[in-house]
Amino acid sequence: MATITRPFRGVLRPGRSAGFWTYAALIAVLLGSLFPIYWSLVVASQSNDAIAKVPPVLTPGGHLFENIARVFDTTVFGKALLNSFIVSGSVTVSVVFFSTLAGFAFAKLRFRGRGGLLVAAIATTTVPHQLGIIPLYILMGELGWTGRIEAVIVPGLVTAFGVFFMTQYLTGAVPDELLEAGRMDGCTTLRLFWHVVLPAARPAAAVLGLFTFMQAWNDFFWPLVVLTPGNPTVQYALSALASGYTTDYTLVLTGTVIATVPIVVVFALLGRQIIGGIMSGAIKG
Amino acid sequence: MTSARTRPRRRWAYVLDVKGSPYIYIAPFFLLFGAVGLFPLLYTAYVSMTDWNLLETTREWVGLENYAELIGDAYFWNSLVNTVSIWLLSTVPQLLGALFIAHMLNRSLRARTFFRMGVLLPNVTSIVAVTIIFAQLFGRDFGMVNWLIGLAGLDPIDWQAGTLSSHIAISLIVIWRWTGYNALIYLAAMQAIPNHLYEAATIDGAGQATQFWKITIPMLRPTIIFTAVVSTIGGFQIIAEPLLFQSGTGNPTGGSDRQFQTVGLYLYEQGFGRYEFGYASAIAWTLCLIIVVMAVVNFSITRRIKSG
Amino acid sequence: MFSKRLAAGLLALGVLATGCGSGGEPAASGGPITLTLNLFGNMGFKELYAEYEAAHPNIKIVERTSAYNDHHRNLAAHLATKQGAADVEAVDTGFVAQFRGQPQHFTDLNQHGAAALKDRWLPWKWEASLAKTGAQIGYGTDVGGLAMCYRRDLFEKAGLPAARDEVSKLWPDWAAYFETGKRYTAKKPAGAAFFDGGPQVFNAMIGQAPVGYYDTADQVVVATNPEVRKAYDQVLGAVAAGQSAKLVGSSPAWNTGFAKGQFATIACPAWMLAKIQDQAKEFAGKWDVAAIPGGGGNWGGAYLTVPAQSEHTKEAVALIAWLTAPEQQVKVFTKHGILPSTVAGYDKPEVTGLTSEFFNDAPIGQIFTTAAVNLEPQYQGPRAGDIQTAIRDAINRVEEGKQDGPQAWEQLLKDVDRIEK
Repeated sequence: MATITRPFRGVLRPGRSAGFWTYAALIAVLLGSLFPIYWSLVVASQSNDAIAKVPPVLTPGGHLFENIARVFDTTVFGKALLNSFIVSGSVTVSVVFFSTLAGFAFAKLRFRGRGGLLVAAIATTTVPHQLGIIPLYILMGELGWTGRIEAVIVPGLVTAFGVFFMTQYLTGAVPDELLEAGRMDGCTTLRLFWHVVLPAARPAAAVLGLFTFMQAWNDFFWPLVVLTPGNPTVQYALSALASGYTTDYTLVLTGTVIATVPIVVVFALLGRQIIGGIMSGAIKG
Repeated sequence: MTSARTRPRRRWAYVLDVKGSPYIYIAPFFLLFGAVGLFPLLYTAYVSMTDWNLLETTREWVGLENYAELIGDAYFWNSLVNTVSIWLLSTVPQLLGALFIAHMLNRSLRARTFFRMGVLLPNVTSIVAVTIIFAQLFGRDFGMVNWLIGLAGLDPIDWQAGTLSSHIAISLIVIWRWTGYNALIYLAAMQAIPNHLYEAATIDGAGQATQFWKITIPMLRPTIIFTAVVSTIGGFQIIAEPLLFQSGTGNPTGGSDRQFQTVGLYLYEQGFGRYEFGYASAIAWTLCLIIVVMAVVNFSITRRIKSG
Repeated sequence: MFSKRLAAGLLALGVLATGCGSGGEPAASGGPITLTLNLFGNMGFKELYAEYEAAHPNIKIVERTSAYNDHHRNLAAHLATKQGAADVEAVDTGFVAQFRGQPQHFTDLNQHGAAALKDRWLPWKWEASLAKTGAQIGYGTDVGGLAMCYRRDLFEKAGLPAARDEVSKLWPDWAAYFETGKRYTAKKPAGAAFFDGGPQVFNAMIGQAPVGYYDTADQVVVATNPEVRKAYDQVLGAVAAGQSAKLVGSSPAWNTGFAKGQFATIACPAWMLAKIQDQAKEFAGKWDVAAIPGGGGNWGGAYLTVPAQSEHTKEAVALIAWLTAPEQQVKVFTKHGILPSTVAGYDKPEVTGLTSEFFNDAPIGQIFTTAAVNLEPQYQGPRAGDIQTAIRDAINRVEEGKQDGPQAWEQLLKDVDRIEK
């Protein structure tokens, strides 16, 4: 389980070092990965008359900040960004906290029905979520939350994946002896959770938090269904911007840049942890 | 500090704490999940047996009528065929590409983290942004892809209008976003393969290609099954890409002839275009069933191929 | 079955956890009142808000715009669930019949002094938003009286006359219009087709028919109305002759089509002028406005409504009464070319004398007011908007080469059946 903190198994395989063609292939893949993002930046930095040119414009122009200002002036992107930060932030905090709490119980405490409940929790990770959107929509209507961001926050507050992930991690990361010793000293389980488990869970919590944040930030379908164009998340605002009522395509592509930048920044800073998380998850399968 | 065992009152509290508190710790998850995850799913089953339309005030129990209608609904079958087609077109190249990239990454590389981050980058960008960008690249009159095709001396393609061409374009969006992610999963599995297997093979005179096919692929079998099943579950629910690929044209029909309407998009059209909640719920449950069947079929196929 | 209390109880925990009670709703008491307007497309009100806010210091106006179909779809759901709608919602002509069928969801403007204002509007405009119960659900804004916009420079290049009177004479009816299309196409400049897309031309044609998709008993007559089939066949004939740029209306590609000058003519209701000016900036002075083939006809035009769920009914009603008053509508027309449905302003000199520099000094005031006064209103049924979309898809299928005319027609009739059901 220490793989999360040490994600790269630095095994250098003798005789399998990378040659020219390996680098060439990887660089080609990299260019393919980057190009669409680069191109959106190019369009976002042009004025509207530069789009749809033949041959296409491929170098950035000088209008990016002007276009960004126009997006915030003429659309609800400011509000959308704020909404997205509120939604993603509260969902992340909640998922990490409740997952750690439940993971602690499943990993370290003995109680009746533990095995069955754990299996039930894991089984729910395979349930296709959007299949329940109609009742969820009805539910939000009953609660009076249609068009309000609570409708997007509350369904995201817990995830079965998070519980599974933290259970896996805490099983190995917190020695049973430490908890036993704590008990001997008269600590309640809540104190154990607070003073022993939470600090120990930090590396996994960071990875889970990152994933959750990115997922919440990029979530589109449910906000589209339940929110309104006047009070959207950033992805919804972007899809509305692209739906044809604006005549200015640089604005649309500027919107994609704005919607993507926060995630790319997070990724640039914490990409190492994210990759470690994916790879450690894969090892456990 | 005195030991807990010496005081009866403390012991009682201790037992309650140890036996009872776990339920409190898992309760938030189960309560919330029950309310926003499980309950809606079950309630979908009920709604699917009514003629519930959001815009109408009356609703009646109709039993399995919606399902019967669905079986005779040509648009539903059309969407299912499209879904399977897009799923195949996206999954197969995606997983093969991921294997290839993982194989490249699984060498002693300079700037290793840089390359890994590079291949994962598409996965963290939003579907909405990416689909908008791709829709523009695949534009009929001024898209960059058609410009390149024109340079090659070929006629431009109306990507959105054609059935196969629209499926290819949508599949490319999926491939672009998910290949790197799967590559990292394969890479992790490759690194878990014990080195001595390769060493022994080298001694036996097996070349790199032989080693890849005889050692790497068989050892990756569980991981390949895992990714195939996950991409089945994801691929059958695809909505956002086809929805946004035709953005601006209004209704979520997936083109003028529904040529790229997936089951998910048909669910959306019925549920939130026409607000036929009953019928849409029947689609949801049917889709759920199809996904389960496909995941199982997929599981057994990938298992057989690799062990054969 | 679905207990509100149960649902609330289940989720109480979640609410506590978020500690988040605000979803962007304006404060109901104390401080200024925010009125929200949900519109589709450019309705030309932006400059008016500041004026209204200056005169009403306690009112703040927020406008939100979304795409045509999305807007009406959202509105239907927000009315049904009685939440999420704005204080003022725009409704297009294609959907007004659907919404006047549910007057309970709207503020009855007749209860708020509408009767005194009635004479502002063209009579049919007033009738179209009047529910069977007698409730008035909306005040008319613009009217889509038709003209034909065309590119002088392209006409000249194709060897056609370019002066607007001569161009008008080219096409007394639609058959003559498509004949002109043939002449244009034979010598057309590269990259510019005769018209933008079949469905848009079809809309203009069917808008002139005495009966459209519905008879006055709300029965769908798409299959039996000969006018529909005739217009359909005529449009497809022109498409087959290569006259269409095959751009889907309201799509991003359509918008680009204006900017790149991909077509030489477009049926233009007054509101289209604003769109052309927004998008085809490069072609200022090259566009002009001629008469519509066949004469008369209406395409689009909107209403402003106040949903019953609005918490600021009084203020919202006052706002829409002000926005649709002739004084303001005249400003909208002179600034954006969007033609008011309030006849009261038609005789003002700034309206009758209005010309547009962008459209080669065309006398748009005179052209469009004449079109509006003369047009024969067509009865709109409840699902007219959806039927229009189905016809659009049918014509697109032919334009995209996926089906021939009869096949697309057959599928269209099935789609219409489903819409009706």
